[in-house]
Amino acid sequence: MSVVYVGMSGGVDSSLTAALLKEQGHTVVGVYMKNWTKDLPGMKCPWAEDLADAKRVAVQLGIDFKVFDFETEYKQKVVDYMIQEYRLGRTPNPDIMCNQEVKFKLFLEAALEDGADMIATGHYARVEDGQLKMAEDSTKDQTYFLYRVTKAALEKTLFPLGEHKKSDVRTMAAERGLYTATKKDSQGICFVGQIGIREFLSEYVEQTAGPIIDTQTGLTLGQHDGAIFYTLGQRHGLDIGGGLPYYVVGKDMDKNEVCVTTNLNDSQLWQTTIRLGGVHWIDSPPEPGEYHVRVRHRGTLVKATISFEDNNVRLDVTQPERAVTAGQSIVIYDGPVCLGGGIVQPL
Amino acid sequence: MYFDYAAATPLDRRVLSAMQPYFTELFYNPSAPYAPAIEVRRDYTAAKSTIAQAIGAKPDELIMTAGATESINLAFESATGHSVVTAIEHHAVLAAASRRAHTIVPVNEKGQVSPDDIRAAITDDTTIVSVALANNELGTIQPIRDIAEAVKQARTERLARGNHTPLYLHSDASQGVGQLDVSVSRLGVDLLTLNAAKMYGPKQVGLLWASSHVRLSPQIVGGGQERGLRSGTENVAGVIGFAKAIELVVTHRKHETQRLSKLRDALEARLSEAFPEAVLSGHRKHRLASHLHISFPGLDAERILFALESRGVYVATGSACAANKGTRSHVLGAIGMADEVADGSLRLTLGHLNDDASVVAAADIIIEEVRREAERVQP
Repeated sequence: MSVVYVGMSGGVDSSLTAALLKEQGHTVVGVYMKNWTKDLPGMKCPWAEDLADAKRVAVQLGIDFKVFDFETEYKQKVVDYMIQEYRLGRTPNPDIMCNQEVKFKLFLEAALEDGADMIATGHYARVEDGQLKMAEDSTKDQTYFLYRVTKAALEKTLFPLGEHKKSDVRTMAAERGLYTATKKDSQGICFVGQIGIREFLSEYVEQTAGPIIDTQTGLTLGQHDGAIFYTLGQRHGLDIGGGLPYYVVGKDMDKNEVCVTTNLNDSQLWQTTIRLGGVHWIDSPPEPGEYHVRVRHRGTLVKATISFEDNNVRLDVTQPERAVTAGQSIVIYDGPVCLGGGIVQPL
Repeated sequence: MYFDYAAATPLDRRVLSAMQPYFTELFYNPSAPYAPAIEVRRDYTAAKSTIAQAIGAKPDELIMTAGATESINLAFESATGHSVVTAIEHHAVLAAASRRAHTIVPVNEKGQVSPDDIRAAITDDTTIVSVALANNELGTIQPIRDIAEAVKQARTERLARGNHTPLYLHSDASQGVGQLDVSVSRLGVDLLTLNAAKMYGPKQVGLLWASSHVRLSPQIVGGGQERGLRSGTENVAGVIGFAKAIELVVTHRKHETQRLSKLRDALEARLSEAFPEAVLSGHRKHRLASHLHISFPGLDAERILFALESRGVYVATGSACAANKGTRSHVLGAIGMADEVADGSLRLTLGHLNDDASVVAAADIIIEEVRREAERVQP
């Protein structure tokens, strides 16, 4: 049996993870990773409560509990990255970055340093023979967020929940009397909290008004308060009310223009060829050919033909995909195995 | 088994009964001109008289507020010069003081401030000195009368030098009413804060008493209620409840203080017998009968709190606010407690619902859980 450091967030998933590993006979140490959060006036910071819940469960289980402070690193690697990506007109995924840089790097290193043999998290995923595989509960599978984790890290990682259904996890937590059994799942980007990404970003980037242009007529429909706040396919928050809904179909960061349309079939909204940069493979790169890809978390798996173009990966899908947004990740699967993926490049 | 009366007290049933009609049939706005409203106004005024009587004050010297924090803010915003506070004041006082020039006076290891130190901290620009009657974490009672004397001396000296800047002594007595005599003239203060929520009354109901010579600056303006010093339709039910609550605690003060003191001492004896290495804090003599502050060096009090919680025993690890912010208690720092002792600190505060049986049962559970935790740390 090993010494396992479990990343405990104060939610039901990581609580049960710790409980299950302890039942399996491991020496379990609970660790709360203190990441960076923005303190805004009038906003209650949720982390203190989450930390208390994580600790509470550790006490219930009679395991050691530690707090690892990654505030500085998290700010640099995740938050600053996210803000920078938005500045460049892209829509990044900070959760993926957090897994790559913090949970499966900093936390892993710190845990091993502290005496751990393995780490564990409450992710819904499986590791078999060094391969990352989809969770038993396909509706909850979180491999999308894990595709940038290294093979070496996965070999040191346990995902006990990968074998379980989310609904069973609640029941199992309740059976064990875990304090967090009925706690609501967290939503959205943790450090942004309840305020929403737009308000968060507006703290860091200057809001500069620019035109909203109808691509069908070329007319300016109104003003937006900064192109960076808009993302492809977005319908709400344009404040150009009346008539058919408008969708964002593009933006020009240099000109600070947001382009919109009422045409749901606009060619810019639908893509059949997608190019991925910043590609990461968990193992060696796969042969070109037909695989399944996931364009967003919980998105359905779609067939795609993969080929290589210099450092990029080219994906060709048979059915056009809607709102494939620069900065977002696309994850590639061979059957249940998550091979890796990359970041959507601008058209 | 609840041992956190310093954080909140359950509403006394008699208080609830007194309040109830004012939510429903006696809902009238006390400023309205028709008979039933006038009756409500009379009841409100009578309630204020009851409260005033309990602290030896005149009814029109009371400004009803939405709790102690508001009262403290009103006091500080009415005396905007330099302020003098102790290092163990409640966050509300420290935050209000920190808005302007202020001096923080240290306390000794028992949590008492020296009147001489207060005197020395008063400058020509000082307008307010604020010292809580009893500390919420340790229960230590301050020598308020002596402090009042020191403030008075400073005032006299300043006047002799032609300095007419007002100088007020404010005391937050929220923690002490159930056990101490808080007549304003006996304490010698100019401003006094009270909070109904700490005496089996409703939350968000408090008052600031201001001696007639004090000039207050209203922070909430509007319809001119509370003599223009705190606008907003009167919280009639709340103030009725406050009056009932203070009437009850004052009536039963002597008996309840003796009862709590016995229970607290029994709890303290059991715990210190089981853990001779435990550190007891707060003044041995000048301490609220409800308070027990005990530290288990090297242990993590928060773990003990969670373990006790799962067994239905509710305690505090310091002041509730400090614990929530994940920082060490400034009070324990101020009495010179080492971090490893502070981190193992529990605050147990007793009240109405505690009795011999609950104290014995709780002591057994606490002993068990502290032992378990000690064994985990050092098997």
